[in-house]
Amino acid sequence: MAEDEAIFDPTMKKKKKKKKMPFDLEAALEGGGDTQESTEAPEKDDTPKNTDTNETEKKSEDMDFDLDLSIKKKKKKKKTFDMDGMDDALAEIENAADGETQEAAKESTPAEINDFDADLDFALTKKKKKKKKPKLEDLEAEALEGNNKENEENSEMKDKSGTTWAGTERDYMYDELLTRVFDIMRAKNPDMCTGEKKRFVMKPPQVVRVGTKKTSFVNFTDVCKTLHRPTEHLLSFLLAEMGTSGSIDGNNQLIIKGRFTQKQVENVLRRYIKEYVTCHTCRSSDTFLHKENRLFFLQCETCQSRCSVTSIKSGYQAVTAKRAQIRAKAN
Amino acid sequence: MAVEMSIENLKKTSAADDFQDNSEDGTMNLIHVRCQQRNGRKMITIVEGISPIYSQHRIVKKMKKFFNCNGNVHKTEQDFGDVIQLQGDQRNKVKEFLVSCELAKESQIKLHGV
Repeated sequence: MAEDEAIFDPTMKKKKKKKKMPFDLEAALEGGGDTQESTEAPEKDDTPKNTDTNETEKKSEDMDFDLDLSIKKKKKKKKTFDMDGMDDALAEIENAADGETQEAAKESTPAEINDFDADLDFALTKKKKKKKKPKLEDLEAEALEGNNKENEENSEMKDKSGTTWAGTERDYMYDELLTRVFDIMRAKNPDMCTGEKKRFVMKPPQVVRVGTKKTSFVNFTDVCKTLHRPTEHLLSFLLAEMGTSGSIDGNNQLIIKGRFTQKQVENVLRRYIKEYVTCHTCRSSDTFLHKENRLFFLQCETCQSRCSVTSIKSGYQAVTAKRAQIRAKAN
Repeated sequence: MAVEMSIENLKKTSAADDFQDNSEDGTMNLIHVRCQQRNGRKMITIVEGISPIYSQHRIVKKMKKFFNCNGNVHKTEQDFGDVIQLQGDQRNKVKEFLVSCELAKESQIKLHGV
């Protein structure tokens, strides 16, 4: 932001100058008021410095008293300068600096030189006034700068709200336009441009124990429907991952052999969704699965990408049942 | 379309494992770590696809020591090759072990089961 403003500032000022030429007098007056205020502040700053120097340089009380008097005189004189005309802060500071340096000298000769200093000050200020009076434009420019700064501050404050350039005559900035565009987009269709994609919401699997050694996946077909996948595919995946056997019973629920909790089934289901439902490029769930030359391909409806997915393999199955039973069955 | 497909396939190692599972160089092989339920809470961990250039018996010996469990190598007649069986659910430990011994990269190991 800072850099942008730095880049934008000069152009703005130029435009303002052109546009605000008729209002110059008012602006100048305002500017004059500002400068006067600014000049008053450094005076206040200067006086304590002087007192400090006085305190440090206490050699004899009489001398200090003289110095104090001189400072009072100086103050009065400065105020008269202000009354005469407009003073610059720079001039004031220079005066102050001069005063400090000369005060060290004044300790030896206090009163008379003070007046002389005042004369010198007069000369300095007068010179500057002379320089400045012919160049009214400079003053105007200063005033305008002040106004510009105020405007910038205001704009910075309003940037968060949106359209800041509505009332003003300045050009809109890129950041402001960006915020405006996004505000409009948010207002018109809040679903689309929140940045967060619509999350894939699914019912949790209902898992019930059947007896001691079997588990029932009650809403199995519902899950298949919400995923838009054939039941056989999901079935084979679940059985392969869990390393068990199972089947669909009359009530369209899946009976799995072995003890499984809902969390375990959910984990497997999540893995299935990650691998076979969500698109691998855009992660949308709007996909369909089709078989081609013994391979499964996942095609995305939103981004039209197409990629192959791993075939479901159960791998090696260890013998878990009792061998005697197997032998008995075989015979 | 064909171009998209090929590019998409390049990213995924798992999609191509159908073709490369039985290849001789052990670079692209996936190591499947499965878990099978026995009676009750007891489980068997089955490690499948460790490259045949390594001695399975020696690996099992170390695994048994590290995991505090028993295990053995099962020679299968089918195309599974040598399979390591371990007592208990040792999937995550197997993964750590294989990665730390640099027998496989983390991307090559695939965990299955509940």
